Amino acid sequence: MRTDAVLKPSDVDSLREAVRQQPRVWPKGAGTKTALGPPEGAVVVEVSQLRGVLDYDPAEFTFTALAGTPVRDVEQLLARHGQYLPFDPPLSAAGATLGGTLASGLSGPGRYRYGGVRDFVLGVRFVDGQGELVRAGGKVVKNAAGFDLAKLMTGSLGRLGVLVEVSFKVFPAPRACASLRVDRADFEAAWGLLRALYTSSFDLEAVDLVPPGTVWVRVAGRPESLSTRLQRLRAFLQGGEVVEDDSRIWEEVREFRWVPSGWTLVKVPVTPRRVLDLERELVPTASLRRYSVGGNVAWVAWSEEPAALSGLLARLGLRALRVLGPPGPPFLGRADSDGFSSRVKQALDPAGRFGPYP
Amino acid sequence: MLHEIPVDRYGAVGRRMAGAVEACVHCGFCLAACPTYRVLGEEMDSPRGRIFLMKEVLEGHLQPQEAAPFVDRCLGCFGCVTACPSGVAYGELLTPYREYASAKVRRPWPDRLLRWLAMETLPHPARLRAALGLARLVRPAAPYLPARLRAMVSLVPDRLSRPRRPASTVAAAGARRARVAVLVGCVQRVLHPEIHEATVRVLARNGVEVVVPDQQGCCGALALHVGEGVRARRLARRNLLAFPEDVDAVITDAAGCGSAMKEYGLLFSGQPEEEQARKLAARVQDVSEFLNGLGIETPPPLPAPTRAVYQDACHLLHAQGVRDAPRRLLGAVGNLEVVEPAEAELCCGSAGTYSLEHPDVAAELGRRKVRGLLDTDPDVVVTGNVGCMVQIRAHLRAAGRPVPVLHTVQVLDLAYRGQGLPRLA
Amino acid sequence: MDRARVLQGLRTLYPESRILTRPAELAAYESDALTAFRARPLAVVLPETREEVVATVRWCHRHGIPFVARGSGTSLSGGSLPVPEGIVIALNRLNRILRLDPEERIAVVEPGVVNLDVSRAAAPFGLYYAPDPSSQPVCTIGGNVAFNSGGAHCLKYGMTSNHVLALEVVLADGEVVRFGGESLEGVGPDLVGLFVGSEGLFGIALEVTLRLVPKPEAYRTVLAAYRSLEAAGDAVAQVVASGLLPGAVEIMDRLSIEAAEAAVHAGYPEDAAALLIVELEGEEPEVEAELAELLEVVRASGAYEVRLARDEADRQRIWKGRKGAFSAVGRLSPDYLVQDGVVPRTQLGTALAEIERLSRRYGLRVANVFHAGDGNLHPLILYDGRQPGQLQRAEELAGEILRLCIRLGGSITGEHGVGMEKRQYLAEMFSEPDLEVMRRLRRAMDPGEIANRGKMFPVPQKLEAAAAS
Repeated sequence: MRTDAVLKPSDVDSLREAVRQQPRVWPKGAGTKTALGPPEGAVVVEVSQLRGVLDYDPAEFTFTALAGTPVRDVEQLLARHGQYLPFDPPLSAAGATLGGTLASGLSGPGRYRYGGVRDFVLGVRFVDGQGELVRAGGKVVKNAAGFDLAKLMTGSLGRLGVLVEVSFKVFPAPRACASLRVDRADFEAAWGLLRALYTSSFDLEAVDLVPPGTVWVRVAGRPESLSTRLQRLRAFLQGGEVVEDDSRIWEEVREFRWVPSGWTLVKVPVTPRRVLDLERELVPTASLRRYSVGGNVAWVAWSEEPAALSGLLARLGLRALRVLGPPGPPFLGRADSDGFSSRVKQALDPAGRFGPYP
Repeated sequence: MLHEIPVDRYGAVGRRMAGAVEACVHCGFCLAACPTYRVLGEEMDSPRGRIFLMKEVLEGHLQPQEAAPFVDRCLGCFGCVTACPSGVAYGELLTPYREYASAKVRRPWPDRLLRWLAMETLPHPARLRAALGLARLVRPAAPYLPARLRAMVSLVPDRLSRPRRPASTVAAAGARRARVAVLVGCVQRVLHPEIHEATVRVLARNGVEVVVPDQQGCCGALALHVGEGVRARRLARRNLLAFPEDVDAVITDAAGCGSAMKEYGLLFSGQPEEEQARKLAARVQDVSEFLNGLGIETPPPLPAPTRAVYQDACHLLHAQGVRDAPRRLLGAVGNLEVVEPAEAELCCGSAGTYSLEHPDVAAELGRRKVRGLLDTDPDVVVTGNVGCMVQIRAHLRAAGRPVPVLHTVQVLDLAYRGQGLPRLA
Repeated sequence: MDRARVLQGLRTLYPESRILTRPAELAAYESDALTAFRARPLAVVLPETREEVVATVRWCHRHGIPFVARGSGTSLSGGSLPVPEGIVIALNRLNRILRLDPEERIAVVEPGVVNLDVSRAAAPFGLYYAPDPSSQPVCTIGGNVAFNSGGAHCLKYGMTSNHVLALEVVLADGEVVRFGGESLEGVGPDLVGLFVGSEGLFGIALEVTLRLVPKPEAYRTVLAAYRSLEAAGDAVAQVVASGLLPGAVEIMDRLSIEAAEAAVHAGYPEDAAALLIVELEGEEPEVEAELAELLEVVRASGAYEVRLARDEADRQRIWKGRKGAFSAVGRLSPDYLVQDGVVPRTQLGTALAEIERLSRRYGLRVANVFHAGDGNLHPLILYDGRQPGQLQRAEELAGEILRLCIRLGGSITGEHGVGMEKRQYLAEMFSEPDLEVMRRLRRAMDPGEIANRGKMFPVPQKLEAAAAS
């Protein structure tokens, strides 16, 4: 079996056939998450031909599309009707697909307000390890029928099934946005702001902390109330520079343009309180950091061998996902194995066609 | 809820009991409001569970003896009635059911003896006084007594005044605005005759002529709550005759008595006196309800700022639906801050003779109640029922902070007389 | 295993006082909030520690005894109905809030903690637990997790699933597993998302880590009265289309208004054929700006009376009426079936008109009270079980409504779960391969199918018929 084999099924049936035929397969969208590569010996199945929006009624605030549809296409379609995906799917400009976004379980800074990709997915169709086409969830915003396999597919990295079709809910896009940049003398002071914002009743789209001491806050809503809200926020933060035309700034963040080419980028789930511990460990290293979602995610760009980073994270009891950079095992840091996920794997992919669950 | 109760078999109350079962949809909203469920966390000790059990018994699917421990454990606080969105008239099921089941349930002799003792002493002022005197003598031996006797003794007050009753007629001060008759009952007359006196003074002060009928007696509440319908009717019959018809209201200043008298119609359901009982019941009002409806003269402010925590008596709040009236009256007193405790809607565990028959549950509720009250850091506790006063006082004493406990009318009375409220030394 | 042996085994795990076996004790556990189903278990046990729960599950696994975990028994789908050959594990005494960390905005709780008690505990810190099923003063977090409970405020912030961060679970074969974490984000498949809503078929949650959210600074609650249910339905579409994102959008029809008004005197406009409740929440200046637009939209939608909640007490009354509406309908009829179908929001009008038509055809009254913003219908089918054939007709009508929801592209349940009640309809919503994957998952956790046996999955018709006879 050649490891560089690539199949490009043109429809669902040939995808099912591909899964049935190959002892080991690995689904790929646009390949924007460069660090996430195929397991050893797997035939790559590109789903890029399974693209297109199948169902979108703007009045319904939901859509269904094939998994290989670029997020960008969907966002443009939604924008024409004043709607959006509030979780800022990352690497959209780079060509990320809906399926890849769901399978990698990644959300951008806008996840702060209304939740991440897991909170917006409504239903999926996927091909399981036996080549069966399986549907779960639905197309309506509320649904409690059957097991929620759509959520399970979030972050499954193609190791539980090949996504074919996804349904999402969307929200009305805010009519106006602006950001506030607040600089503090040191990290600890900026971290204090982040935590104060986290328990405040301000409705914020995004709260990011960039070392050494900058906090970025995004506010969105009606144009007529925006300036009042920014003023109140400035009063709370005791200062801050208002940036009115802020879409470019946040796009840079979503696209990870701040990550130097060739570096490894990892996603580290953390909590606001633990951000300080992590930063202290990382300051002496050759890394760039961005603490997003109010301190719930650390994005760490790493220039050297990931093994050292993995050891550091493990010492802190943190687990991380590789996103950009040279491919390698997807997880770094604390090893995780539980009886639950291995049973899930066994049920969905008993023959291990999608590779071992790492 | 669907049922197969043979309605006709249960006489005049059959239809009403079945009606309560039908209205229940088993949604469980009552669980949080039920003191025994909060303490025990068991379905059969919840209102929904008890309704189900009573239904099963009335249908003939369950022996009354089996259901008895759980139905007995109900405090009859009616917290569930306030919480129920379906409008289940729980009292219309519980009270007749208890009477029906009491004949069918065989209780161990200590239970029967205790209940008999309670029924033979509490409603009779002279006997009660003698019993209390005796209990005070045994108090030093309390730690060696069985739990229920210990509970009984712990409730005995330190001081006993001579039983008194107000004069038969007290004229209104100034122009007469109303004429009422006052129930002076039994237990309160022995334990706290000063509450009746305060009631009469406050009424008179507000232009109400007060009569205190001589022939009246215990309202029957204690017997009613434990299902002794025959005894309750015997006691109530006396009051049907004693209370005059030419009054604007029959006033009670003990919530338990008020709620029992408002139930006289149900108690005599299908009996010759039903019509008469209904008429009397319709005239019954709690003193706070009546005064609030009448409108009171604003008392002078208290001499010193005082913080009172108001404790709803279940038989006022839940059984009679009187919530705002006492709060409004207390709100009229200057220099008095009225605060609300946590879990205000939860029973204190007194509930008539309940604290004597189920001391464990009652004590747990008493401790919880007092914790909530003391958390508000009060100068005084105010409530509207003598049973609650006794229970709360005992638990305040046990908690080491014996804050004074007053009836709502006592606060008004002291304010009118330009006196401050008693304080913890 | 016969009953005596089961009880003997349980006595090795529990003191006598925490094993319920007497007829009266067991009778009380026969039903949850869906009384159309009743089953008497062999015993009910009352664990007080997680170790006891684990030991009980292991014992059940070893001896093949089915178990049903139960909280407050408020399921409207028969989700906590006991199994006659099994035991009930009543989790009400595992009701401790183990950790409340306001700075990290999390609460770690035992499964028997009451939903509203989490918010009560968080209130001093300006935080609350957002999912608010109508039964929130009594229902437990364990039950909410098992059935992915919703509530009136799902539109903006989602259901239980969107508010659970981590779980410790004893699987049906006794293995204890932990997954999820304290962060809002995770890596790897969303196992928490899979477990929430699994209807007790995988095992029992022992510890639940919940996300708390800051209490909104301001609320504006608008009541609008309409002359017809369709007009109210159309108004919802207009509110949604306006680009507003309210916290809640609810509709009550004439029957449910009447019942709720009798129960709580909420001050709903009288004579309304339908009532729309829209609640905005958020920062004061934003909410104020949104309100102006909302009032414009609502007035233009044909409401003949529009009222704003005067203060917090008034707002609470409005919600108390809405949340007590199901139970209050008990005043109108001796029995009713609650349905929980979902339709695409643009199909609300069609669905309501069709339900109205079905109601007339079956000669049964249907009260409607629902989460309009989510398209989540709650038709309450009123019937009198004493009239021969009425229950069966009501069930048939319910079935037609569910099929209608599926036909319109929706779901048979939005938030109550499949439970006992809708298990036959799951096969109409999902294909055999879909169900087979779910069955494989279930067996992977519970090879003996002892955890909440009989729920969710369709029972083969033959077995169903045998059970009925």
